[in-house]
Amino acid sequence: MANIVVLGAGVAGHTAAAYLQKGLNKKEHKITVISPTPTYQWIPSNIWVGVGRMTPEEIKFDLRPLYNKWGIEFIQAKAQSFYPEGDEHINTGFVEVEYTNEENKGEKIKIAYDYLINATGPKLNFEATEGLIPGNGNIASVCTFGHASHAWELFQEKLDKMKNGENQIFVIGTGHPTATCQGAAFEYILNVDFEIKRRGLEKQAQVIWITNEYELGDFGMGGAFIPKGGFISNTKLFAESYFVERNITWIKRAGVKKLDDHTIYYENLDGEYLEQPYDFAMLIPGFAGHGFKAYDKTGKDISDKLFAPNGLMKVDADYTPKPFEEWTIKDWPETYQNPSYHNIFAPGIAFAPPHSISKPMTSKNGTPIFASAPRTGMPSGIMGKVTADNIINWIKTGNATMIHKASMGRMGAACIVSAGYGMRKGTAATMTVSPVVPDWEKFPQWGRDIKTTMGEPGLAGHWLKWLMHYMFLYKAKGLPFWWMIPE
Amino acid sequence: MENRLIITKYSEQYYPPTPNNFTLFLRRSIFFQLIRFFILNYKIMKIVIKGHS
Ligand SMILES: Cc1cc2nc3c(=O)[nH]c(=O)nc-3n(C[C@H](O)[C@H](O)[C@H](O)COP(=O)(O)OP(=O)(O)OC[C@H]3O[C@@H](n4cnc5c(N)ncnc54)[C@H](O)[C@@H]3O)c2cc1C
Repeated sequence: MANIVVLGAGVAGHTAAAYLQKGLNKKEHKITVISPTPTYQWIPSNIWVGVGRMTPEEIKFDLRPLYNKWGIEFIQAKAQSFYPEGDEHINTGFVEVEYTNEENKGEKIKIAYDYLINATGPKLNFEATEGLIPGNGNIASVCTFGHASHAWELFQEKLDKMKNGENQIFVIGTGHPTATCQGAAFEYILNVDFEIKRRGLEKQAQVIWITNEYELGDFGMGGAFIPKGGFISNTKLFAESYFVERNITWIKRAGVKKLDDHTIYYENLDGEYLEQPYDFAMLIPGFAGHGFKAYDKTGKDISDKLFAPNGLMKVDADYTPKPFEEWTIKDWPETYQNPSYHNIFAPGIAFAPPHSISKPMTSKNGTPIFASAPRTGMPSGIMGKVTADNIINWIKTGNATMIHKASMGRMGAACIVSAGYGMRKGTAATMTVSPVVPDWEKFPQWGRDIKTTMGEPGLAGHWLKWLMHYMFLYKAKGLPFWWMIPE
Repeated sequence: MENRLIITKYSEQYYPPTPNNFTLFLRRSIFFQLIRFFILNYKIMKIVIKGHS
């Protein structure tokens, strides 16, 4: 009997659990999912919760009945420390977790495993930016459904003020010098702008994009080249054109350091310390690992064996420090397996990337200001599935060779950037890149397969985004033939 | 629109391309977008299938 433990029930963890239960006989093998909340949320639709177009109930559901049906044990708890070799009493690897449910809150237990999937995603590191506290004053976030729901309340207050003739400044973008997830902030600013204009309040609103990107459209993936209108142009033009069309202005190469109730303080790559007044701010925080600790059998701290300095888990990536010019797709992991403990995996945002994709930049004062590597939903789902497939193969054949692979240097990603909700008036840009990490050896001219890379704005994009919301929730709910829907 | 150009002259916002009326019409046209919807689906599926090994 194999005992598989999955930490986290987000895109990567829930996908892995779903395929594990499909591929393994549950009478023979045990699957346990551990997550601090019993709900699954479709995070991309938080954007619509943040502008009042969806309610949190429409984007989340309770996982427990589904896991019951699937024969998966669910434990509402958060992982804290890893013991990959066990300890003096327990002979197999285990994790120490703390219950988060009402009945046992704060109580700790040890959960043993034969295979461990760490899919705990990012810690939303708001503390790394002074004053960036969602829900405080004029600061909002859309990173969770709870945050997004508050963002909508704050947004309504501002809409009311504008209706009463007051001017308001909306600043949306990145809230840390090395934050990632620009795509989500980009969607939110476009939706906020759309909702302001829909109400005819644009005269009262100033909408500003603030970003750590070197150029707009970088999105943490070094930008992309897309064929359009007889030219091959960069996503810089695409993003700028989108903003100019809507009268949104921008501040780029900005590392946000601090916020108070009405001012954002930032440093730019020129080393200048500047201020931006605001009435409503939605800034994506930095991402980090959860601060997990790891111990060997004797109790010695071996956290650096499992985790990179940013707290994310080490996997089969090449972490040798090298200059940007020497980066290749071979640096990127393929199986998400920990190199020291082969029965531990980290798909999704939980794995430590070997480096960023965008070129690291430093201000004249030595502050790193650039976009970290993004890991969007589609790659996270694929990594979760590949991890499950490899574990299933290992259990069934006894052969520990990882036969399923999914490198961000080979897989593509599709991202639908919503820019306004509505079946007739809505709009979104459909973006695809392949591969996610540019492969300059295979595609020396554009870094990616130009035939499959695109960026196309229009109403069809909204229909796609809307369809994906229902399709991915259908899949996550394990409804009939869920597995036919790709990640 | 003229207003924007005067205000933004020589700033970053002055230079990027802006869609003309025909492009905006195509982006909103139900008929054209319906065709694009199927093409976009096909293009995404090609990438999705390639990503799994
Ligand atoms: C607002 C927003 C919009 C987005 N839009 C898009 C989009 O349009 N398209 C796209 O492709 N991607 C989008 N993304 C990115 C996408 O949501 C992520 O790529 C994806 O959620 C990553 O999956 P994950 O499983 O690694 O992490 P998560 O989905 O964050 O899941 C992590 C899980 O781990 C659990 N957890 C946390 N700590 C612990 C612990 N200590 N122990 C156990 N469990 C723990 C969490 O509760 C959660 O269940 C968006 C992100 C945001 C914030």
